[in-house]
Amino acid sequence: MRIEGNETLHAPRERVWALLEDPQALASCTPGMQELKPVGPDEFEAVLSLGIAAVRGTYKGKLRITERTPPERYAVQVEGSSAVGFVRATGLLELEDRGPETGVRWSGDVQVGGALTIGSRMIPGIARMLAGQFFQCLDRKLQEGSA
Amino acid sequence: MATRWFGAPVKRNEDPRLLTGQGLFVDDVQLPGMLHAAVLRSPHAHARVLRVDVRRAAEHPDVVLVLTHRDLPPGLREPLPKLIPHPDLKHHKTQYALASDKVRHVGEPVAFVVATSRYAAEDALDLIEVDYEPLPAVVDLEEAAAGRPALVHEDIGTNVAAHSVQRVGDYEAARARADLVLARRFVVDRGCASPIETRGVVASWDARTRQLTVWDSTQAPIPIRNGLASLFGLAQKDVRVIAPDVGGGFGPKIMMFYPEEVLVPLAAIRLGRPVKWIEDRREHFLATNHERTQIHDAELALDREGHILGVRTVFLHDAGAYIPYGLIVPIVAECTLPGPYRIPNYHAEFRAVFTNKTIVSPYRGAGRPHGVFVMERLLDLAARELSLDRAEIRRRNFIQPDEFPYHVGLLYQDNAPLVYDSGNYPAALERALEAVGYDRWPEEKARYRSEGRRVGLGFACYVEGSGIGPYEGCRVTVEPSGKVYVATGVGTQGQGHYTSLAQVVADALGVDVRNVHVVTGDTEAFGWGTGTFASRAAVVAGSAAHLAAQAVRQKALQVAASLLEASPEDLELSEDQVRVRGAPARAVSLAEVARAANPLRGVIPAEWEGPGLEATRYFAPPRGTFSHGVHAALVEVDPETATIRFLKYVVVHDCGVVLNPLILDGQIHGGVAQGIGGSFFERLVYDPQGQLLSGSFLDFQIPTAMEIPEIEVHHQETPSPLNPLGAKGAGEGGVIPVPAVLAQALEDALDDLDLEITQMPLHPDALFGLIQNAPRRRS
Repeated sequence: MRIEGNETLHAPRERVWALLEDPQALASCTPGMQELKPVGPDEFEAVLSLGIAAVRGTYKGKLRITERTPPERYAVQVEGSSAVGFVRATGLLELEDRGPETGVRWSGDVQVGGALTIGSRMIPGIARMLAGQFFQCLDRKLQEGSA
Repeated sequence: MATRWFGAPVKRNEDPRLLTGQGLFVDDVQLPGMLHAAVLRSPHAHARVLRVDVRRAAEHPDVVLVLTHRDLPPGLREPLPKLIPHPDLKHHKTQYALASDKVRHVGEPVAFVVATSRYAAEDALDLIEVDYEPLPAVVDLEEAAAGRPALVHEDIGTNVAAHSVQRVGDYEAARARADLVLARRFVVDRGCASPIETRGVVASWDARTRQLTVWDSTQAPIPIRNGLASLFGLAQKDVRVIAPDVGGGFGPKIMMFYPEEVLVPLAAIRLGRPVKWIEDRREHFLATNHERTQIHDAELALDREGHILGVRTVFLHDAGAYIPYGLIVPIVAECTLPGPYRIPNYHAEFRAVFTNKTIVSPYRGAGRPHGVFVMERLLDLAARELSLDRAEIRRRNFIQPDEFPYHVGLLYQDNAPLVYDSGNYPAALERALEAVGYDRWPEEKARYRSEGRRVGLGFACYVEGSGIGPYEGCRVTVEPSGKVYVATGVGTQGQGHYTSLAQVVADALGVDVRNVHVVTGDTEAFGWGTGTFASRAAVVAGSAAHLAAQAVRQKALQVAASLLEASPEDLELSEDQVRVRGAPARAVSLAEVARAANPLRGVIPAEWEGPGLEATRYFAPPRGTFSHGVHAALVEVDPETATIRFLKYVVVHDCGVVLNPLILDGQIHGGVAQGIGGSFFERLVYDPQGQLLSGSFLDFQIPTAMEIPEIEVHHQETPSPLNPLGAKGAGEGGVIPVPAVLAQALEDALDDLDLEITQMPLHPDALFGLIQNAPRRRS
């Protein structure tokens, strides 16, 4: 299923890009992220604890950055599995220069399998909520950084 | 003979036991030291299995056994048995007990864990690591037939398991001289039975006697026993399979083998301890067989008066990932399509196609709803085109009561010629039309419309193949207590056999039906039989019970004759007594006769053919018998919300001589409810990756008492000449025509729109889309 959204981050594009290149910042802002370990260039192993609909699980998986065009575009591929099923997703972030602000357009294509499919109708809503938390956290970091 | 019980609305013998919680279902079986199993299932529709690592699961303190494909004995590493072969089934692929190098549908078993509790077994499943390499999922049926986007079974080079053609006459020639040819595509999508009781297996191995006992929620305990004996190298006599009370089967519980049916016994033998596995509802949606997806491209050729010249249907059948049950469903579909009509030229052609979805095998109706939907829809459209009354076009094409036996010209699912044995199709239609108020419908409909309500009338006719062979058997015993024991191997899934078979026997022996105790579904009680499927139990096992009871009756008369010093011809059996006709004082109880038939000393006359009041008989019908009927309904639709309500539902049903009208009504009520569910509320939705999105009762909505109307049932009785009872099957008639009835009723209710309903099941959102997209009809 395809999901997408728009956010505004309150910092210039160069600074947003720099933050997106910082695995520590990404890890601390991703909801449920317990571990993010680099295993190669642009490749990470991740452990994520998430509740999707009625199904809570700990996902082990891989995150790979498949495209980066500084400071405009950033594409990732995620694969994770847990006892309750698997998630496969691709995501694209596009940053728009708006002077002191940066517009973020994000989109993703998500596949789930296993017990997760029971709640799959709720996944777009949950993904939007999680994305919202992620960007709010980034925005907070950007503002803290500039203060 | 006095017919007191046969045909009477006798209350069910089994109900006091079942209604007070005294039933014995597989999950009620508790054995000392019993272990519990859980199954690790594939989350992928199509993937290579690269690695299965069970080490951490095996180390779990409560786990006693973990099995993967490589841990199976050599015989069980092969695909499971092929059930029903057919010459057109070129690629008879069956599943493995545990996946070897590939998984082919979500829910396919990959590993099997046995632990001291189900809780621990489920926890251990989480510790198993499986590396899958996902492959493109084969989901869309037409794409699958073309070999895209992948092959479910690479080694056969195609996704088409079978291609089959049956012809009657010359359809092309009929088409060439037709005044009207209608061509449409009809789509019927997946459904499943949803019995209250899911599947379950308990197995126990006695190492001293080397005997295996298996409790299995199956519709076919004897074939399961025979198969297990063969797989485990045991004598059939050393395997006992008990299908105790079965909480609904509806077809999918007759698979043989589901993987768990061999894995649980294997674990029990290996561990020397009893093992239980009970399917949960989530597993049931994925791992118990589905049915119904077929895409029919159909044509009807007629003359201008509406006489059928010919029919053609070319269809795709979605077999799912494997095809253990062979071609039964598509064959039944093509053989049910002609229905009660004279069709001189018929071309039926299908391809059975593998997809990465749950396996398909018969589910109540089993292809019949598809055939009826296609035929009835074509007639409705033809009536519209020819400006003919929809009842009239059917009247012009009915096979008449004097045309039986009627040879349709096809081969049926039992590989025997399709021959209708008896029936009265025109009478059933007239009775249904009268009951639903067809004659005054135009005024009624206008009245509803004036109130702003949209109500439509729909009806549909069907012929229901039932009562096929090969055989069933029955043993009837009168014990020295005077109580009568009946044993058969047919099995039961809740249809009331403890009563209907008892009625057959009670009349023959002149005893109270409550003193006749039926045992079925236990291979130790009776070891020959095939199972309860295809609406055959009452017909085939009922006839065997009749023959066995008549034999016992003859013997009782012989034995009593010597006790009473009378001629057997002068005796009668009634009220547990054998009496001299016209001299009621000269009588002996059936119990005394039973004791006399098994003396401790003396001589048994040769004509008694052995001791005791007991006889075993088999009944093997030459071919199936054909029930028929008409359903008619009034359906109200709210075009704003696309929700529906049945205001009236009438069933005229002819299943030959009725054994028990109470049980028959129950069969029909349940069938109609299941038909309504499968037509409008329930649906199995797969995403493009082959994930089942509606795999819970949250999304798969079975109807409740709120959605099911009062059902008015009329019985018409045209006896079958093919069995001593004159009976025909009644298990599926409730379901079969419901989609066709609903489609016609909706089009009638929405007749200001140019609406054609060619897909089933509908759902409020599908119907809403049809309403929104339909152009207004030009009047």
